[in-house]
Amino acid sequence: MTTNDKIPQLRMLAPESFRTKLTRRAIFQMGTAAAGLAIVAAACGGDDGGSGGGTDTTEGPGSTEAPGGTLASGDWSRVINAASGTLAMYTWGDYNDPDLVGALADSTLGVSMKVDYYASNEDLITKLSTSGGNSGFDIVAPTGPYIPQMIEKGLIQKFDKSLIPNMVNVDPSYLAQAWDPTNDYSVCKNWGTTGFFWDSTVITRDLVTWADFFDACMNEASGNCSVLDTGPNLWGAWCWANGKDWNGTDAADLDACEAFLVDELAQHIKKFDSYPSTAIAEGAYALSMAWNGDARQAYFRILEAGGDPSVWKWALGTPTTELWMDNYCIAAGAPNAEAAHAWINWDLVPEISIQDLQYHGYHTGMKDMSKLIEELAPDLEYGDMIFFDEEQVSTMSTQEITEAIDRQVDILNKMKAKAGA
Amino acid sequence: MTVAITDRRRRKWRGPKFALALPSIIWYSLFFVIPIAFIVVYSFGTKDTSRLLPVDLGKLTTGNYSEVFDDTFFKTFKATLRISVIATLMCLVIGLPVAYFAAFKVGEKWRAIILALVVIPSFTSFLIRTVAWRIPLAPKGEFSRWLIDLGLIGDKGIQLLETQTAVQIAIVYNYLGFMILPLFVAFDRIDVRMREASKDLGAGRITTFFSITLPLAGPGIAAGVLLTFIPMCGDYVTATVLGGAKGNMIGSMIASQFSQAQNWPLGSAMAVLMIGAVLLALVVGVLIVWVVPRLVGLLAPVSEAVRRSMHERRTARALAGTTRRSIQVDINRVAMAVWAALVLLFLFIPIGLVFRHSFNGGSSFSIWSGETSTKWWGELFDGGAAWAVALRFVVITALALVVKRVLARTTDITPRRLNWVGPGGFVLALVVNGLVSDWFRKIFDFAGIGDAIRNSFMAAFGATVIAVVLGGLSGVALARRPGRWAKIFMGTVFLILVTPEVMDAIALVTWFQRLQDVPVLGYVFKNGIGPFNGGMHKLWVGQSLYASAVVTLIVRARLSGLDESLEEAAADLGAPPARAFRQITLPLISSALIAGGLLSFTLCLDNAVISTLVSEAGSTTFPVALLGATKSTIKPFWGVGAVMLFMITMAALAFVAVVLRRSGESSSDIAATLAGG
Repeated sequence: MTTNDKIPQLRMLAPESFRTKLTRRAIFQMGTAAAGLAIVAAACGGDDGGSGGGTDTTEGPGSTEAPGGTLASGDWSRVINAASGTLAMYTWGDYNDPDLVGALADSTLGVSMKVDYYASNEDLITKLSTSGGNSGFDIVAPTGPYIPQMIEKGLIQKFDKSLIPNMVNVDPSYLAQAWDPTNDYSVCKNWGTTGFFWDSTVITRDLVTWADFFDACMNEASGNCSVLDTGPNLWGAWCWANGKDWNGTDAADLDACEAFLVDELAQHIKKFDSYPSTAIAEGAYALSMAWNGDARQAYFRILEAGGDPSVWKWALGTPTTELWMDNYCIAAGAPNAEAAHAWINWDLVPEISIQDLQYHGYHTGMKDMSKLIEELAPDLEYGDMIFFDEEQVSTMSTQEITEAIDRQVDILNKMKAKAGA
Repeated sequence: MTVAITDRRRRKWRGPKFALALPSIIWYSLFFVIPIAFIVVYSFGTKDTSRLLPVDLGKLTTGNYSEVFDDTFFKTFKATLRISVIATLMCLVIGLPVAYFAAFKVGEKWRAIILALVVIPSFTSFLIRTVAWRIPLAPKGEFSRWLIDLGLIGDKGIQLLETQTAVQIAIVYNYLGFMILPLFVAFDRIDVRMREASKDLGAGRITTFFSITLPLAGPGIAAGVLLTFIPMCGDYVTATVLGGAKGNMIGSMIASQFSQAQNWPLGSAMAVLMIGAVLLALVVGVLIVWVVPRLVGLLAPVSEAVRRSMHERRTARALAGTTRRSIQVDINRVAMAVWAALVLLFLFIPIGLVFRHSFNGGSSFSIWSGETSTKWWGELFDGGAAWAVALRFVVITALALVVKRVLARTTDITPRRLNWVGPGGFVLALVVNGLVSDWFRKIFDFAGIGDAIRNSFMAAFGATVIAVVLGGLSGVALARRPGRWAKIFMGTVFLILVTPEVMDAIALVTWFQRLQDVPVLGYVFKNGIGPFNGGMHKLWVGQSLYASAVVTLIVRARLSGLDESLEEAAADLGAPPARAFRQITLPLISSALIAGGLLSFTLCLDNAVISTLVSEAGSTTFPVALLGATKSTIKPFWGVGAVMLFMITMAALAFVAVVLRRSGESSSDIAATLAGG
């Protein structure tokens, strides 16, 4: 134990969970080798964490196999900028490892974090716009297609990219997206997709396509079925089931979609729930449309509730489904933009990113992902719900904001009214 | 001499009659009337999401209204009214025997205990209690499995979660206390001699209840119905947490028009119609109250005959020497006691569950992992800070008691003043702890909950101060200087009380956005003053509206029960108005102010709807943060936070109770004023 007592004196990069695995010897090996193992040594404790924002940075190309497998091998940037003060994040529910937005952010970066949650991109936009650039939030996490209108309305500000050097760790295929080709305003937080999750004791047949999903919802799972609480996703599911392009704006399609969702499907729905995992474990649903990370969470919750996870099945919707990407952005008028940059940059360090991934269960867009997982999280469960093969990814398409968006939201509202009647 | 006096009195009454109510008039105009007027205007606009404020007022239309009357939306309206009416009636039916039992069937001591047990649950966060209902209702929860094992229900488990029934149960639960209190006060006020006279004149128990007790309790019933029905109509928390698609209520639908759909005009139209619907429902209610007794009156000859024959039979039986009646009395009393006990148990179910689940070893609040653990509490009490704080409290309070003893022996300060030493020590300990350590930070510095709890108290405290000052002044003005202005003013107060919270919330949010460009106010709400940021000021404004209306009514009721002679005497004896107010009026209304303050404090502490919409980062309160967390998984530490909040509130209340006791208020007086006059 005495060896571990000294460890807190070092401000270091390894996440808390890794820290306990490190021996003092390993620390010194890493320190003396200095082979790019970014360890920021600060004299005793963390109280002097860069008042006024002096940036203690150490960087270098990681190369060695870290003792105990704690640091990923390969060419990674691991810059950590110290910051101070409080940092307010406004994000989706349960979307970061609590340690990373809590104690570890405090001890590593020197910022005290506050996190609030929203349930839809529209909620986020409303909150930011009704406060007139004065919401008090620093970091927000909008979904890609919503970024252009947020830029246009002046709700988010440009990055100072020199403060986010770790952006090089992101796989280029997740950078330079249509909504922000130069990544001046946003960087990939993580991406995911949509599928469904069902109790095979209630629905005994195998569900494969979105049409199967709708069918089961209206039959075996009638009254015990939940769908996502977002207009575009429900419109999307209808398009995916019917071989339409969900970025199309054809009025006839929208009418047909409304006719089906409102008049036929709505009455069978138990709840519009974007995070069904807890309610699934409570036994509220037999079939849920869900994002992959939340469905994965459901397995753990079911086990905790004393249920049998093995009877629950997950399927990525076919023939097509969505690929959504949420992004870190900095709110316009952010009270602590410096800390916001520092935190985002820190979350792009591979070890931190993987720690986050293990918590929320979404692909964080790091390059060489399979190698990272192999080295940092070899015992990751239900990995097939996080990572998808080429063939699966090729069936996914990203939402675009079209003039039909109002109509999509409108359909959702009508569904809600109908479902409640 | 007489001339001098009239001169003086004339001087006293200078200024317009509404002078004292002026602060409230300005406040309500600025933060209620104008914002609501804007909502009415928006309801004729068209949606334009390209603007920061997504309403186009260029072309006005009534299209939004016809859209609301569209079949599907209208159904949600009806469902909301149905749920609210049923829940109000259930509260009445369930609560009436409890109030009756507490008022007539038990002694002073038990009365206080029952009232306390009714009130205490409402000091636990409204939201966490609602979430806690998920636990017994979950189909795969322990309770459900237990029932299955007993063979009481099928093996599918309880099928209530995410249904209208769940909303109905929780909504009755959430508002039951607001029904019982006014009912109790109404019963308690009834002159016992009336009931005795009725019985002496030969009326039976039932006759006495229906022809004496119930009519006399009429105002209390009306107050209870108002206090439950209106908040229910605007409730969006219960439906959001438990309702699912089938339990959708209009409050959440309006809120989602403003946030998710960004369709402010449609949301505004819904909100306007909702107020209309609530008012209509009230009118219908009043009509029923007015018509029923008259219908009963029409039937009087019949009921009279029945009554008489029953009475004759009873006297005959009494003459025959049977003792059946006294046995019946006991059975009734026992039945009522059992009922009251069951209702109180019902009120405490979610609280017990919150407490237990704060010790959940798992990772989700509502799912019991089967393992008891203090890990979430451990996170809260990190290190020895909590013990140091507790120690300081004990030492300073003990010192205060010693000082009190010494003073009592060595000086001739009156015992009444000495009694303040104890509470004074407590306050000192609070201050010392605050200065010496950053204890509230240390203790609460985890997962953002500590900040949320602190913000809750700051917001509720500020709003309560505003409410007490505004409500106190306008209450005095209403009781002592009525006139034509009073009618308009009372109309506004009534409108504030009946306006569903969600509508206030959206009106304020949009109004604050406009205010940002106004010189002084814009600065206050944008940048904040001193240690309080703009979000905190918005919370104060938002929470103070309903609270100040409540205080106004309580103060007015208290004062109008007292005649003006004392104040006149003071004036006659030459006291200037300010002094007469300080020395006569203020002591007269002090209990009303304290009771009103307490009531506002608890209401504000629990406020979720307005707070969610107006709060900003850094001013997030506990209910706001928890409402955010309900959107995904609620961790067990929310239970810990709720228990902490509960304990702090109880400590604060105990402190107030001690102070009140010291200053000579009786506990039933406090309960009476608490329940609305």
